[in-house]
Amino acid sequence: MKAFAYATAHSTDSARELVADHGVYLAGGNDLLGLLKDYLIPGPDILVNVKSLPGLDKISRGEKSWSIGALVTIAEIERDPEIKKVFPGLHDAASEIASPQIRNVATVGGNLAQHSRCWYFRQRDVTCLKKGGNLCYAREGENRYHSLFTGNDCISPVVSSLGITLAALDAAAVVLRGGQETRMSMAELYSKAFTEPAAHNSLAPGDLILRVEIPTTRPRSAYLQVSDKHTFDWALVSCAAAADVAGGKLSQPRVALGSISPVPYEVAAANDFLDGKTLDDATVSKAADMILWGAKPLEHNAYKVPLAHALIRRTLLKLKG
Amino acid sequence: MASWPQPTKYISHVTTRVDGPPKATGRARYSSDIQADGWLYGMILRSKWPSAKISEINLDPALKIPGIKAAVKARDGEFTVRFYGEEIAAVAGTTKQGCLDALRAIEVRAEPRNEFVVNENEARKDGAPEVWAGTPNVTPGRPREHGDVDRAFGECTAVIEGFYTTAVQLHNSMETHGSTVSWTEEGITAWASTQGISSMRDGLAGALQLDQSQVRVITDFMGGGFGSKFGAGVESMLAARLSREAKAPVRLMLTRFDEALAVGNRPSSFQKIKMGAKADGTLHAFEAENYGTAGIGAGGDAGGGGGGANIPMPYLYPVPNFRVQQASVAVNAGSARAFRAPGNPPASFGMESAMDDLAVKLGMDPLEFRLKNDPNEVRQREYKIGAEKLGWKKKYRKPGSSSGVVKTGIGCAGAAWHGGGPSRDTHGEASINPDGSIEFRLGVQDIGTGTKTVIAVVAAEMLGLKPEQITVKVGDTNFPPGPASGGSRTCASVSPTVYDICQRALQQLQARTGISDARGQNWFAACKKLGVNPLVVHGDWIEGLSTRPAYGVQFAEVAVDTETGLVTVKKIVAVHDCGLMIDTLTLESQINGGVIMGMGYALYEERVMDDLSGVMLNPNFETYKLPGLADVPEIEVVLLNMPERGVIGIGEPATVPTAAAIGNAVANALGVRVGSLPITPAKVLAALGKVPPVATT
Repeated sequence: MKAFAYATAHSTDSARELVADHGVYLAGGNDLLGLLKDYLIPGPDILVNVKSLPGLDKISRGEKSWSIGALVTIAEIERDPEIKKVFPGLHDAASEIASPQIRNVATVGGNLAQHSRCWYFRQRDVTCLKKGGNLCYAREGENRYHSLFTGNDCISPVVSSLGITLAALDAAAVVLRGGQETRMSMAELYSKAFTEPAAHNSLAPGDLILRVEIPTTRPRSAYLQVSDKHTFDWALVSCAAAADVAGGKLSQPRVALGSISPVPYEVAAANDFLDGKTLDDATVSKAADMILWGAKPLEHNAYKVPLAHALIRRTLLKLKG
Repeated sequence: MASWPQPTKYISHVTTRVDGPPKATGRARYSSDIQADGWLYGMILRSKWPSAKISEINLDPALKIPGIKAAVKARDGEFTVRFYGEEIAAVAGTTKQGCLDALRAIEVRAEPRNEFVVNENEARKDGAPEVWAGTPNVTPGRPREHGDVDRAFGECTAVIEGFYTTAVQLHNSMETHGSTVSWTEEGITAWASTQGISSMRDGLAGALQLDQSQVRVITDFMGGGFGSKFGAGVESMLAARLSREAKAPVRLMLTRFDEALAVGNRPSSFQKIKMGAKADGTLHAFEAENYGTAGIGAGGDAGGGGGGANIPMPYLYPVPNFRVQQASVAVNAGSARAFRAPGNPPASFGMESAMDDLAVKLGMDPLEFRLKNDPNEVRQREYKIGAEKLGWKKKYRKPGSSSGVVKTGIGCAGAAWHGGGPSRDTHGEASINPDGSIEFRLGVQDIGTGTKTVIAVVAAEMLGLKPEQITVKVGDTNFPPGPASGGSRTCASVSPTVYDICQRALQQLQARTGISDARGQNWFAACKKLGVNPLVVHGDWIEGLSTRPAYGVQFAEVAVDTETGLVTVKKIVAVHDCGLMIDTLTLESQINGGVIMGMGYALYEERVMDDLSGVMLNPNFETYKLPGLADVPEIEVVLLNMPERGVIGIGEPATVPTAAAIGNAVANALGVRVGSLPITPAKVLAALGKVPPVATT
């Protein structure tokens, strides 16, 4: 890897200052190490260790909203008994991420901000569209793991399991941007990736995720994924759903899918349709139809359509409890 | 004629690995642990192009990087590279990062060719780019025909036609390829990860123009090879040249990335099979066309141990009328090498899939169909045992008739490995000391299967001692020579050799000490009488104690989610024979390993090449998928001990039938065949007709 400077920040202001325009933040480092070793991102000149930033490793449990610091590890989320009760979908998503060893050091912020896993992007000797080349090799090539919905020529999908689940929970990321705290919905956090091939999220250089804030208004939540293997494998498709269920009827339901679009894929009309409905096979099937309407499968990823359909139905039915 | 002792105390019982503690504690020193004085890291620069003419390589910028002590070109003058990852140059230096920087600093003037092909289906077409200029990509094998095939099909009651395909599989040994090489004025010492210390010595000597006596190869511990580590290898040759250049030992171990590209694989197969049986279920006619790619390796028969794309067909079952045509297709990708039972796992998948499909068409239970057509008595026994263990009669249902979204199914398949026999050219020696300690030295290597333990078990049995009282040394070309570890031969080679050494030792002890039976409790008294010098006894492989071949059958039970396509293997029953079992623990362990490797072949593993760029897309364990613990089911190993046959190896047959058994179980669950390995969720959903058609652009 390229030589870089290394510094540990003790305040968010100094972190921002140190990282300047050509640095990157270092938390768990799982994603960053691979990016650096294979020269997949330009630079960086400096790695700013943010693991000592005060307060970012805390979970605060409010009545209406919880806040989970960006430095909280995936393992802590997985092991927290209250999260399992209050946000069961988040627990399930965390428990499917990578391996126990990785979950022990990987952080919430890192999971949300992780880069593309597209095997063309990750191939050190391919300069694809996402790396500033002029061609998305996956479009005409090996696209079994790629998107069904995208607004640009790059078809690399979002793979952050937490991002998918937090989208269904209508959580916000609080991001330090230009010295100010900015709240971004999950849709906003990723929207740029939908339209711009070089982007994998909407964060600008120097932006730092501080925490996520999750409303407790949806006591039922669920997450399911299917991979080629049973553990330690990326989702072929993942699905998260969250809602309140009263008298057998859904209220404020939200469904989000991963690995089928550069963003957590949500369809407002489907959420609206589900609102007030009773969970039964016909309803969840109709919702799945609505969500997957307009999917544009390529040569090798059309299987994701029936797979996503099954996962939407199953995830929604899990909300019955 | 020699015969094995009966009853036994250690042979055919459980002995834990004699080298378990050093392996578990890290005291065992593998090639990458050798810290020869002043050693340097070595690394290889590889081609970024699938095809290019390399006209000039400038190493000077690399030599200016701090800590870099040597740099060499892979070849002199202009040369052509034919696959992504082919070796171009190498450097040696004091730090890993320095070497990485040096590789990037090397200036390569290359003329990349746009004409290349990495896909065997494209490479077969007329007008496809030639991998080897002036040579067709397709090398047809010699057609084989017996009987009157066309007439025979007309005499069949049921005929099926199927297309069965298997992917290129990588060896992925736990320890990568490479060595630490020290080149001094006296010659070369190579601490190598090799399954053939003698073949490696001869390869190094030949390539580097040294006397064979000037090259010593040492393999104290080794982390697997599966057929990919017989020769000296470009990487060890480069390490030697770097060592000469730098005047220091060089440790050059490949990375996982390197390993995926350039050190071998199992060829793919595309098998079009037509097969027919008579009304009573007797196989009558068989026709197959098969092709596969061995990468830039251009063909040749691989049935016995090479790296070509041909497979043994028709597999296992005698069919009176058959016609087989095969071809090896060259592509711009790393060459195949021998890989655990070369040719057999793909042959088993094609043949055993066709067997089940034909059984279904005949309306027969596929197990009955096998028992009807398999003349092998050992497998006949094994099928019956396995069926009992799995509960075949109770569990077998018509294909696709299991109810619910998650369907269950069972399947079985058979194996044969006609290698597995001994090498007559196996030798060894033992030093017996006056204090009763004893050391065996054999010029074989323990590829990781437990060869040292086998030697200790046989010696302990023969001498009436305990395995832990036997010191075993292998993996050194200074020891009396033995065979390479391949073809399931090592156990059958070393066991009779150790037997012979022990018999001779007992005879000589009797002659020297007058004690008529030096075994067991007399051992120390007899040794004490030796005086000052140890007794050194030489022995050789002898007749009558080992043989071949081995068979085996496996049963699989699976659950398939018909909405997600995910296959879960619930259970494998593996019934295997290998004559006289030496150590049942290492034997079972080897079968477990074979089954898990077969599972990977069935469900996960596939080298993925990109047509447009010519690169490999999954040279890592992230997207080249291997079974993890959560994927591995209960594996019930049933061993048939047949002492009367003598010792036979087990390495290969254990991995042969797993994929076919799993494939048959999946077909039984679904009622449709997924004829293509690996059986991924995408392929299951496609086979079920659930995947919408895609408008092609």
